[in-house]
Amino acid sequence: MRRTAALVVVLAALLAVAVVPVATPAQAPRPLVVQSQTEPPGLDMTATPATATSGVIFYNVQEALVKVDRHGKLVPWLAERWHTADNRNYTFFLKKGVRFHNGRELKAADVKYAFERALNPETKHPYAKDYEAIGDIIVKDDYTVTFALKSVNASFLQNIARAGSVIYPREAVETMKSHPIGTGPFRFEEWVRGDRIVLTKNPDYHVKGLPHLDRVTFRFITDPNAVLAALKAGDVDVSLFGLGPEHVQDVQKDARFQVLVGDTTNDVILAMNNSRKPYTDVRVRRAMTYGINKSDVLKGAMFGMGKILGTNVDPLNPYYVDMSKVMPYDPAKAKQLLAEAGYPNGFDTVLKVAPQYYYTVRSGEVIAENLKKIGVNVKIEQIEWGQWLSRVFREADFDLTIIGHAEAWDIKNYANPKYYFRYDSPKFQELFAKSEVTVDDRARRDVYVQMQKLMVEDAPVVWLFMHPRLAVAKKGVQGLWKDLPASAADLSEVAWAPAK
Amino acid sequence: MRRYAARRAAALVATLFFVSALVFVVVRILPGDPAALIMGTEGSREASDRLRESMGLNRPLPVQYVEWLARALRGDLGRSIQYDLPVGELIASRLPVTLPLALMAAAFMVVAAVPLGLYAATRHRRAGDYATMILSQIGISVPQFWAGLLLILLFSVTLGWVRSGGFEGWSSGVGAALRSLLLPAIALGLFQAAVLVRATRSAVLDVLREDYVRTARAKGLSELRVVGRHTLRNALIPIITVAGIQLGQLLAGAIVLESVFALPGLGRLALGAITARDLPVVQGVALFIASTIVVINFAVDLVYTVLDPRIRYE
Repeated sequence: MRRTAALVVVLAALLAVAVVPVATPAQAPRPLVVQSQTEPPGLDMTATPATATSGVIFYNVQEALVKVDRHGKLVPWLAERWHTADNRNYTFFLKKGVRFHNGRELKAADVKYAFERALNPETKHPYAKDYEAIGDIIVKDDYTVTFALKSVNASFLQNIARAGSVIYPREAVETMKSHPIGTGPFRFEEWVRGDRIVLTKNPDYHVKGLPHLDRVTFRFITDPNAVLAALKAGDVDVSLFGLGPEHVQDVQKDARFQVLVGDTTNDVILAMNNSRKPYTDVRVRRAMTYGINKSDVLKGAMFGMGKILGTNVDPLNPYYVDMSKVMPYDPAKAKQLLAEAGYPNGFDTVLKVAPQYYYTVRSGEVIAENLKKIGVNVKIEQIEWGQWLSRVFREADFDLTIIGHAEAWDIKNYANPKYYFRYDSPKFQELFAKSEVTVDDRARRDVYVQMQKLMVEDAPVVWLFMHPRLAVAKKGVQGLWKDLPASAADLSEVAWAPAK
Repeated sequence: MRRYAARRAAALVATLFFVSALVFVVVRILPGDPAALIMGTEGSREASDRLRESMGLNRPLPVQYVEWLARALRGDLGRSIQYDLPVGELIASRLPVTLPLALMAAAFMVVAAVPLGLYAATRHRRAGDYATMILSQIGISVPQFWAGLLLILLFSVTLGWVRSGGFEGWSSGVGAALRSLLLPAIALGLFQAAVLVRATRSAVLDVLREDYVRTARAKGLSELRVVGRHTLRNALIPIITVAGIQLGQLLAGAIVLESVFALPGLGRLALGAITARDLPVVQGVALFIASTIVVINFAVDLVYTVLDPRIRYE
């Protein structure tokens, strides 16, 4: 009996240790804790295209001459305006008095330096190709800089607004990977590897009255269940990436939180290998489109959140045309097309997906069910992300795959016959080249409409749905972007609602 | 003893050499290229090729290995691709999380398992024994990540006593740091404790059948002395053997639990490095964990001689 008592004491002691309550710190309303799914692979946006990096740094710490605002519009930013008379020479007039976080004023020479560095092959800039049109960069005075293009380039301003186009002080270039310095509303304070990145308010920010928050902490929590727990326990205020639709539904019922379901530029596609039989045949590719019930896919993978796509131009693009109903679900037509192509009994095929992105596996399961009805037997093979990048994305060793393409204006991939789905249409390439030199907005829109029509016709891939932005925030958090036209988490206008 | 120690030291070096070569080869034959991973789907192929070249990944494997080994022997484990920091520094920065976590889990394991195992053995085939065995069965069956989530649900979400995850850091006070490791340590130690309960129980049961236990009881010693002095000490060798192996497993379990609790520990470093093909880090961590396990085994062997003076490694 005494032993039992001793045991009880031991267990009670253990329990007592476990339940010592935490002293709750006084709640200062100004800082914000943001959960982010993936830790950035370095913080230098001129070295990595990772959205995990731009999701923390872009618009918060570093900025570009031109900004994509929350509605997807290009607005002057570090440049207060720009001017071009011939669409070949763009002159940017810099905002005066913009200071880097190290105190030095931003001058035209910094702009020249940043883009010349990007063009230098030795720096391994991920977007170097996008600056190829730049012939010369001329500094007129401290606040005026002209980009002389080799030829007219309609995407030039878009490219100047990219994450890789940020302006930074040349004296801080060596430490950008771990300690970025820019002109943004927040200064980089610390990066505790594996745990968090802390930003603090930039009191000298060039936009008066911003930012509202004193301090922002990005915490890296990968496991969605852990994210939910952290939200509900009050340890994080905002979850920007990483919660799936099922978790969002759960939070929607909770009065303490607001759920933001918005648009993004992330197009989820079922890619077919256009260089591999039977997908070399356009009839087979069309049959695949007719054979897939996209609203089933959206329900199965995303609980109905998101938008069905008809082409790779997403709803946030100004030239978006809704093509989602042009080739509706029609299994009879799909079977007929397969028979015409010489596959009256369908065929066997392999779908490679990377479970790192949950929606790929879920969509794949629905698609396999759909396609079974038209005789196409899909074997789903799950592979790890690193393998996917090497085998599918680099080597094009696949029949079918599912992935989300998050980049804005990524229609250019369809004009690249070496891109992993190997769509090689001279007609499309010609149209795209034309769109790149057509500066007049209406004329360019016409070309974009033609491209979208051609995409539907050629069906190089099956455009499934636009992955929605699923963000969750505590009720008092205001000013978050609802849509995500750029891969950034701009917190400059975010504030806590005044306490009632 | 000295010869024994020397032999073990030689085995240790050979093991580490073998592990390093194995990890080096395995990590590199895995499909997946660090440059491609950094560039993702958005960087161009040319950019990723240039990056690959600059990382020195285009050179023959044996050349890369010999270079790595030569530097490792001088204490330089290379630089992390992802973090751009020396690997040694990265590992060192993660130890203040993982070591106390593993030690707390080990302490929980021993403190919970040994008394329970003893208790079960002395209540052999009675209600207390069965109850303990059922508890242990539950502990073995519950996956660690799930146990972790349940603990978070109860103690953070519902009761609000501890944070749901993350590490306060030692700079914010020993109490705060230990508190952020408490739930993961319990979740981590639970499975191992459940195993150790069983090992303790059967080891003690074996000893309880010995003649000298009967003699001790016949002498009129109290049950506490019989179990505490005569039984437990003699049962310790199998218990220590199991516990030693489990210490190594705790490090492996930390990989899962550090993710659930968002702790910046060695396990999460390893996991992230594997996902990002951060080869120098994967290699460094594997080498570190292998060395730790080898050293623990070595220590366990030495403890035997203390526990049982009859054991001599001559």
